[in-house]
Amino acid sequence: MNAILPKKQLNRARKTLTSIIRFSLLAALAYQLLYPLLYMLSMALRRPEEAMDPSVIWIPKTLTLSNFTDALRVMDFWDALQNSLIIGIGCGLLDVLSCAFVAYGFARFKFRFSGTLFMLVILTLVVPVQTIILPLYADMKYFDAFGIMKLTSLVTGGPDSISLVGSFWAFFLPSMFGMGLRSGLYIFIFRQFFKGMPNELEDAAYMDGCGPFKTFFTVMLPNAKNAIITVFLFSFVWHWNEFYMSNLLLGNLKKNFAIALSSLRVDLQSVVNVQTISDPLVVVTRIQAGALLTILPLFVLYLVTQRYFTDSIEHGAIK
Amino acid sequence: MIRKLRALPYTKKKELYGFLFVLPWILGFILFFGKPLLTSLVFSFQNMEMTPEGLRGVFIGWDNFEYALFKDPAFIREATNSFVNMLYGVPLILVYSLFVAVLLKNKFRGRGFMRAVSFLPVIIASGVLMQILKEDVFSQGMRGGAESVYLFTGAGINGILQELGLGAQLIEIFNNVISRIFDLTWRSGVQVLLFLAGLHAIPGYLYEASSIEGARPWEQFWKITLPMLTPMMMLNIVYTIIDTFTDYGNSVILMIYNTAFSQVRFGYSSALAWLYCLLIAVFLGAVYMLLKKRIVYMQD
Repeated sequence: MNAILPKKQLNRARKTLTSIIRFSLLAALAYQLLYPLLYMLSMALRRPEEAMDPSVIWIPKTLTLSNFTDALRVMDFWDALQNSLIIGIGCGLLDVLSCAFVAYGFARFKFRFSGTLFMLVILTLVVPVQTIILPLYADMKYFDAFGIMKLTSLVTGGPDSISLVGSFWAFFLPSMFGMGLRSGLYIFIFRQFFKGMPNELEDAAYMDGCGPFKTFFTVMLPNAKNAIITVFLFSFVWHWNEFYMSNLLLGNLKKNFAIALSSLRVDLQSVVNVQTISDPLVVVTRIQAGALLTILPLFVLYLVTQRYFTDSIEHGAIK
Repeated sequence: MIRKLRALPYTKKKELYGFLFVLPWILGFILFFGKPLLTSLVFSFQNMEMTPEGLRGVFIGWDNFEYALFKDPAFIREATNSFVNMLYGVPLILVYSLFVAVLLKNKFRGRGFMRAVSFLPVIIASGVLMQILKEDVFSQGMRGGAESVYLFTGAGINGILQELGLGAQLIEIFNNVISRIFDLTWRSGVQVLLFLAGLHAIPGYLYEASSIEGARPWEQFWKITLPMLTPMMMLNIVYTIIDTFTDYGNSVILMIYNTAFSQVRFGYSSALAWLYCLLIAVFLGAVYMLLKKRIVYMQD
């Protein structure tokens, strides 16, 4: 074969073959990943009677938006959006700040127990939340940082603890101290990033008379743009989708999307049009519409930041 | 005091600054992790009861642990299940995500689109949404939707495998893998991302040098790409194990949660959580020890 075909032709044939194989593989992959989204969209646009109609595969016979309007109302969409945004953006920013700060300490300074402490950072990722959930809940319910509240209450006679349950602070406070949802991972990412930055950058700042803190805020942090975007996006998305902690700490006092979506099935059966919906077909289509509404804001955010996101990968923000 | 600080030698000063940088985390660790963790350890040796005055605990020694290990039929079974699941899952996720990352690294038309699609799981695959997706897509598969994820299962493929002379056990493993494809692709988002970052971090001159020496892409993959990716491999293995074990859909996690909040057996739930936690830690430690020597670090 090699002898008969000229080398150029062989090369071209090989190239076409690889691109055909690659294309079919990627097409299969894209189908696998887009399938649930398309399914949601297709279901959400259907009239309930068509939900289980075998003659409708993808495109509904009659399009309807009533699923969306119902889901909007039952989920308290705007309320949930507001709560989810506050938690997502607030925790995202706090995570970026605190984790970058702490990670810089781990990346550029050697001090006693720094290795051990970093092992503990990894430990916080390994221990499932469920292990500490009950004491943590108690701590949040009767929050009293290091007994400071108790001390002040002795002097002023105020309450000796405050309840963070039902307040956004239950999420903001841990994030502020680098102990929020998966904060360990962010510290890890930032540490790798700072380790990869050239030493000259710092030395120059020191020569100009900056202290370590000033160096961090004026030189290192502004240069960490890609890592910041990656961490912010991770934090935002994971807080957005997080159900377990928010169900426990916010409960029904402040509904975010995760809570609203999880209770959508029950809520639908009780409130729509004053009468209850017990028809499973109606519930199914409404739930798909609700799920789609929930990820819509994430989708918009992703489309906007996508460029930076891939950029940060190509330039090795996470190494 | 301040003068004393000023007079510190440079290295000591740097140590102090490093400590100051990490200090917020230490405070947070004690407040939001250390203290609850210790409390839960105390709980696990107690029989907790809800009383009108709040939670009351009575010390009962190792009883909770003994019960979990030797008497409770569910715990050992669920833990083994989730362990076996992990043994299937981790290698598959790793191979799959490495494969996708390599595919996505090269330039081709539509790469941007494909990248955007393959990061989708990072964005939406968690929590309630995933639950809903699973329920409905699976139920759709059951009523025989033409293009469901069950495309490969059923008599057809089993027949072929039997013709090939595979044993029943192998076929079962194969089926197991196939039925998880949907789940696996949706759990590999972060891993693909990390591998892609790792691939881009490999300096291009290594490939140039080797291709001048006559290395084929196939050889380059085994001799350059794979060794250079070992640190990322490590991170991914650790992340995947943690993710699989602590996933909210995990049956042990559900059991721990239900024991605490539905059955109101807080002490027993804490004991379960601690046992499970120890299992993860031991397993992770073993994996780490096993892989540590095989990691290649770039010397520059």
